Amino acid sequence: MRKYFRVWWKMSSMSLMAQISHPLGSLGFLLGKIVRVVFFFAFIIAIFQHVKSLAGYSLEETALFFLTFNIVDISAQILFRGIYNARRAVTEGDFDFYLIQPCSALFRLSLTTFDFLDALTLLPVLWVTLEILHHLSPSAFSLHSFLYFLLTINAVAIASSFHIFVAGLAVRTQELENTIWIYRDIMFMGRFPSGVYGPMFQFFLTFIIPIAVMTTFPVRAFLGLLSWKWMAYSFFLSTMLLGLSFWFWEKSVRQYTSSSS
Amino acid sequence: MKKYLRAYLISLQETLQRRSSLVMDRLGGVAVMLSLYYFWKTLLSGRPAFLGYSYPQMLTYVLGMNILRSFALTGRGWELVGEISSGKISSYLVRPLNYHGYALALDLSQKTVHLFAALLEIGALLIFFHPPFYLQKSVAAMSLFIGSLLMASLLFFFLEFLVSSLAFWTSESGGPLFFFELFIQFAAGAFFPLDVLPRLLQKGLSLSPFPYLVFLPINIYLGRVGQGRALQDLLISFVWTVVFAAASLHVWRKGLASYSAEGG
Amino acid sequence: MNAIEVNSLQKEYQVFDRKPGLGGSIGSVFWREWKNIKAVDSISFRIGEGELVGFLGANGAGKTTTLKILSGLLTPTSGNVEVLGFEPWRREREFQKQISLVMGQRTQLWWEIPAQETFRLNQAIYGLPDKQYRESLDELVEMLDLKDCLAVPVKKLSLGQRMRAELAAALLHRPKILLLDEPTLGLDVVMQKKVREFILDYNKKWKASILLTSHNMADLTALCPRVLILEKGKLIYNGNLESLVRQYAENKIIRIVFDGDVPASAIAALGGTADSQKTGMWVSVPRSEVSKKAALLLSSFPVADLTIEEASVDEIVRKIFSKS
Repeated sequence: MRKYFRVWWKMSSMSLMAQISHPLGSLGFLLGKIVRVVFFFAFIIAIFQHVKSLAGYSLEETALFFLTFNIVDISAQILFRGIYNARRAVTEGDFDFYLIQPCSALFRLSLTTFDFLDALTLLPVLWVTLEILHHLSPSAFSLHSFLYFLLTINAVAIASSFHIFVAGLAVRTQELENTIWIYRDIMFMGRFPSGVYGPMFQFFLTFIIPIAVMTTFPVRAFLGLLSWKWMAYSFFLSTMLLGLSFWFWEKSVRQYTSSSS
Repeated sequence: MKKYLRAYLISLQETLQRRSSLVMDRLGGVAVMLSLYYFWKTLLSGRPAFLGYSYPQMLTYVLGMNILRSFALTGRGWELVGEISSGKISSYLVRPLNYHGYALALDLSQKTVHLFAALLEIGALLIFFHPPFYLQKSVAAMSLFIGSLLMASLLFFFLEFLVSSLAFWTSESGGPLFFFELFIQFAAGAFFPLDVLPRLLQKGLSLSPFPYLVFLPINIYLGRVGQGRALQDLLISFVWTVVFAAASLHVWRKGLASYSAEGG
Repeated sequence: MNAIEVNSLQKEYQVFDRKPGLGGSIGSVFWREWKNIKAVDSISFRIGEGELVGFLGANGAGKTTTLKILSGLLTPTSGNVEVLGFEPWRREREFQKQISLVMGQRTQLWWEIPAQETFRLNQAIYGLPDKQYRESLDELVEMLDLKDCLAVPVKKLSLGQRMRAELAAALLHRPKILLLDEPTLGLDVVMQKKVREFILDYNKKWKASILLTSHNMADLTALCPRVLILEKGKLIYNGNLESLVRQYAENKIIRIVFDGDVPASAIAALGGTADSQKTGMWVSVPRSEVSKKAALLLSSFPVADLTIEEASVDEIVRKIFSKS
């Protein structure tokens, strides 16, 4: 465990050094990430200058949905930034080094580029989220805020399973770098509470591509609007998806080591 | 002229052939369109209008956004950055070819494919969801809309070219382009109509070239801009286009000079 | 004790037969005809502790596949492989800490930042205590002459510097087994020599078993007393490099530098070939007749210098392959 922390720490500081070596590029990425969060946030606030509620939610509640989406999205990016380069890592042979060195290859592949720009964007998001949580429920350690915390972690676990799947695909097929973008694109829908979407889409977002479980459920639990059944479903889903994704990953590595030349 | 037509046709085939990346691009656009479609549908339920947009107008704005994103806001920025930083660009420069013309031809082929894809997607959405749709019947307004669409496309081409050309100076200039792409989507009105924003911000943006990319063309289509005013705006966007064309050509030449000075 | 033991190792790949043309590529979406390819065909060999062995063969002969199996990157189709008593493809941590693989065209160094950062990363990955890391690093820096390269971003290093840094990164944990795939690829002659000297030093100093592939004959003659030769996945020679040379090189080459002018007809009469500047000649002679022929040449021409050489290994290998 300590060894993994050391490896992670070293890789992160190396990525930081690499990013600092192109200041203009990094500044662009950082500003882009900030613009994406700030403009949407401003949009939501601006909308509420003209209306009182959206799908039954107040401004603060709607903002909480949006912020939760960002927490889950950015955390997954922090943990799995390397997956976006997985295909390159496999075709250019970096992955071979990961396999023969005494450290988990999935760990290396996922965390090899820690994006400190993501971390920088996450901090203000967390801060505003805490402010809103506090405003909506002044008692800091309520059952509901605990559930919110748990379900947000659960959402990150679900996002992780998607990323591990994509990593497996990259190792297996050595192409399909696009697959991760399908996830990113559909994740766009997580910016608004799932109540906005029609019943057909809500079903789709709950059971087929569980974005609602990731971004809407934590907030609904916090607001006391989520039944125990749905919570159980969330945890069941993440456990199952994580299990499946690890299984798929192992299988892909086994295939890679028995077929590549 | 003939060689640019050839480039257009070849690139058309290539875009169609790389189906998986085309599908991926479109999927992103569809996700955005559907999200915002539902967002406004929910917001406007039980309300006759919002900020002067009637219910059909607002939903039509969302559909129009998909067209404008596809025709005006697509380009080859990332390819250009890649070609500059890998040095592949020099293989074009030795040919008797105007690179801007060549890039425009390739751009147009992408825009053609994406425009058709966008029309198909909107058609499907109209068939399956039966949204109230604002149909513009005036020939004059339609011609103005098409004019503004073409102008927006040209303006974006030069803007993106300008930003991508920064790759001549920084080895990794994906950063500026990334920022540009995100910023422009907000500033042009490709996520939401700009009237949503506070007055001051609207005023500021109206002094910039960005609203002419998406916000203005859709508003002309929706008939929310008078024809005299539309003509005037079209003229302004023409001026912006000329300004950025000149700027992008200038930066391009400077970039090439510094490129060859360093030996690529 | 043997460091590496390989018994009837077999590795097959499945590739699908792609029919040419557009019809073929559309067809391949629906049905594929699979074809088995034997990359390695029941080979067996042993490598002792501290031995330096060369791996020889044309492209696609199965050299890299074998190295990948030994390092744990590939799982064989059948056969037994033991490296330091481990089955490599289980990729046990204890095994991984004792081996290293260096591939000439691939790098584990981070491109944008100095090589010493990658060294530090490897320290963490291999769990080396600070003291051991420092010792190991100092020694490698000394042996590889890397002092000036440590703090420079890898992308600014020359190919030779990068290769040496690559070796250092691979050897910080002092592996007992070192697998080298084309370690001198693309390097100039001086750099090749440096890398070779280092490999030999490392082998002597740490009793490491080293298996290396190379297209470069100079690498093999300088480094490897023993060679394994693969052809189309089969092991066709396993033994001493010198006796191989003797076995296949029936002829030696006598070179002469003339002292004065010699007519071409006289050279031809003795079965020789004039060299390009017409200041000398060479002739290929069976081993048994070398001394007789040399005496004859000395008496026939005004000779400034005479040398007797072995035929080049390159030539010998070509001969072996053309015979089998």
